Formats: sequence, structure tokens, C-alpha cells
Amino acid sequence: MKPFLYAGLVMGLVPVQATVLEHLSVAGIRPDLCLIAASLVGYFGGPVDGALMGALLGFEQDLFSAGEGWTNLIAKAVLGLAAGVVGRYLARATPVTVLPLLLGLSVCSGLAFLMAGAGGDNALDAVRSVLLPQAVFDTLVGMGLYWLLAERFRKDDSLE
Amino acid sequence: MLRSTSGTRRVLLALCALLLSLVFVLPKQSRMLVQAIGKPLADIVAFPLDLLSSADRRVGSVWDRYVALRQVQEENQQLRREIEFLRGQAADLREMAAANQRLGELLRFQAKAPSQTVAARVVGRDATNWYHGVVLDKGERDGIQVEMGVVTLTGTVGRVVKSSASSSVVLLITDPNNAVTALIQRTRDEGIIEGTYEGKVRMKYIPLLSTVRAGDPVVTSGLTGGFPKGVPVGTITHIQKDEGELFQTADVQPDVDFTKLEEVLVVTVPRSVDAPAPVPPAEKKNP
Repeated sequence: MKPFLYAGLVMGLVPVQATVLEHLSVAGIRPDLCLIAASLVGYFGGPVDGALMGALLGFEQDLFSAGEGWTNLIAKAVLGLAAGVVGRYLARATPVTVLPLLLGLSVCSGLAFLMAGAGGDNALDAVRSVLLPQAVFDTLVGMGLYWLLAERFRKDDSLE
Repeated sequence: MLRSTSGTRRVLLALCALLLSLVFVLPKQSRMLVQAIGKPLADIVAFPLDLLSSADRRVGSVWDRYVALRQVQEENQQLRREIEFLRGQAADLREMAAANQRLGELLRFQAKAPSQTVAARVVGRDATNWYHGVVLDKGERDGIQVEMGVVTLTGTVGRVVKSSASSSVVLLITDPNNAVTALIQRTRDEGIIEGTYEGKVRMKYIPLLSTVRAGDPVVTSGLTGGFPKGVPVGTITHIQKDEGELFQTADVQPDVDFTKLEEVLVVTVPRSVDAPAPVPPAEKKNP
């Protein structure tokens, strides 16, 4: 089950992000499905799975983004790892407790982009226009997905 | 008992024979007699008859309606399927006609443009929210390289920033990280076109003494970005001239609608409108 799920995420998520998700954008902002996937895989599957999935999705995302460097690869790998560590030590999680986790991870990812120079010469404008709306969007979508997945994966505590 | 029965039978047979003979002997009178006897009986029998007939009609009607409805329902479903099919076909045809028109215009533009271009289709948007970019379905295999300019019929789109064998990523001119040199067509003053996070375009570094005004068209200068000179960028909408600043800044309304990008041309060999036309290889051989 796990290899198929991971392969499906790697093969399908970035194309969905680059094409279909455009229709779900609010004021030009789309949820970052790769960030959400890396976080949830880390949370349910452990730090190693999270880091690897994050790195793969981030790498793929970098290939189809106009940004220079490998910001997504590094940021998503670190986020997947962090989500895995948090998931390991969080005894009892609910969609509400996942809220600060996803919000924090999305904000960290945004800050990584700002540090990489994605904000141009007006970082405050980028925070207001991209970082914060995306963090809220990621959190809401992530909470919804967590709610859907929690019953399936949390019972046996694994992605097997 | 048996005797009485056979006696009654005999009487009944005799009555029948009498009636028959009366019918034959006196046909008119016998008919009247029969009618006179039959009328009350008919009235009595008419009631259950009417009742049964009504019930029969209702059942028949319900049955007919059911059967008919079954047929109508089947016919309806068939017609619905046909409508769906025809609607799908009509939508396909409309889409094909629109694509045909767009591609035709693009081909005519490509034939007229002095620069060498490669037509490509927009297949996706930037995979993050941090950059204003689009993904094209053509790459290095089709001669597309990084730093090449991308245009449409209406104006400047952006420049190629990443290129793989079969796809490439274009950074739009609306991105804050993009910079394209441009000039104001009327005053010939140069400046740099930059994007904003709101998806707008701004022209920076316009000389302070420039007489630029709202409504002035802006075109590429041909100095950087892989664009030929003279490709439309947009129209100036607002000018900002701050105290103590060395340059003016202007808001530009782009000519291209970036939300509806479908097909673009990648400028592989930029050549200005006023540049001499390239000599075909056949003519080169025979000077």
C-alpha cells in the first residue's frame, strides 16, 4: 500500500498543483499540496518518510517553478522531517491540534522562500500577498485532509 | 322429483317453441315483446356493466399509460442521450473552432514577425505561489533555451528561465523578480519593466525630465531579455513622481491577459521590425 501511495503522490501531486488547482485558487493563491502532503506523510509515516517525500515533491516542484535554486527541495524535506518528529511525540492529535503544526510549517516554508529572494525588494508585500494567505489556505486544506485520513491511518499508527 | 323436473322441462321447451314460432310468425310484435321484457333487465344489468366497464377502462387506461410511459421513458432517455451526445459534439466543435481561430492568428503572426519563433502551448502554471510563471509544452528539443523571450499576438509575456527536453518554465513580466528593458513609444525614454505581487506591471527608472503621460504605449527596447525591439508591453496608466527622486515610476496596464494564456511564441532569434529580412539559404548560394 505504502509504495503505491507514495508513487501516486510523487507522480500526481505536482501536475495537479500546476494545472487543476488553478481553478480552486482564491485571489490567485492556491494551497501548496506538496507542503501538505509532506507534512501529513511525515506526521503519519514518521520523520524519514516525511523527509524523503518532502525532498521528492520539492524537487519536482522546483522543476516546474520559475524560482532559481532548490528552495522547495530543501524546505519540503525539512518540513516533512519536522512534521514526522512532531507526530512521533504528539500523543493525541485532532484536526484542531494539527492546525498550529500546519500553520507553523507553512509560515516557515514561506520564510524560506523570502530568504531565498522570492519576495523581490518588497518582502512585506510578499508576506501580505502570498505568505499569510497561503499559510491559512494550507492549514484549512491540511486540516480537512487530516480529518479524512486520521481514521484510516491513525488506528494502526502507520501507513502500511 | 324427477317427474316434476321433466314436466317443467317440457313446459319450458313448449314455451321456447311457442316463442320461436311467434318470432317467425309475428316478427314485429315478438321483437316489441322482447324489448318490453328486456328493458328493465337491461337497466338492472347496465349498472354492474357500467361499473365493470369503468373499472376496465381505468385499468386499461392505467395499463396503456404505463406501457406508453415505459415507451416514452425509453424514448426520453434515448433523446436525452442524443442531446448529451450532440451537446458534447457542439462543445467540442466550438472548442475546435476557437482553437483553430487562435492557432490561425498565431500562424499569421508568426509568418509576419521578423523574428524566428517557436509556437508552444501553455500546459500549467508555476508549481508554487511565489513566482508568476507558466509551463510550456516545448523545450530544448524544439530549440528553446533559457533567457529567450516569450510573446503572444498582443504583446510581451515573459522570458524562459528553465528548460528541459520537453518543457520549459517562463517567468512572466508580472513577476517582481523579472526585469525587461522597455521604452515609451512616444517619448523614446527607456526604463525597466518589473512586476508586482498584485500581478501588475511597473516601469521604473524613467528619466525625471521625460514628458511621459497616462495612455502612452510601452514597447520592448530590444536590449535585454531575448525580445526584439518594438514588441508591445502595455499602456501607462499612472505616473508617480516623488520629491527628491532621480527617476519617475509608472504603472503599466499589460496588453496581455495573463489569466487567459493558452498559446505563445518563444522568440528563438530576436530581430527588430526595422531590421533587414534574413536572406534565404537558396539566395545566399546565388548572389
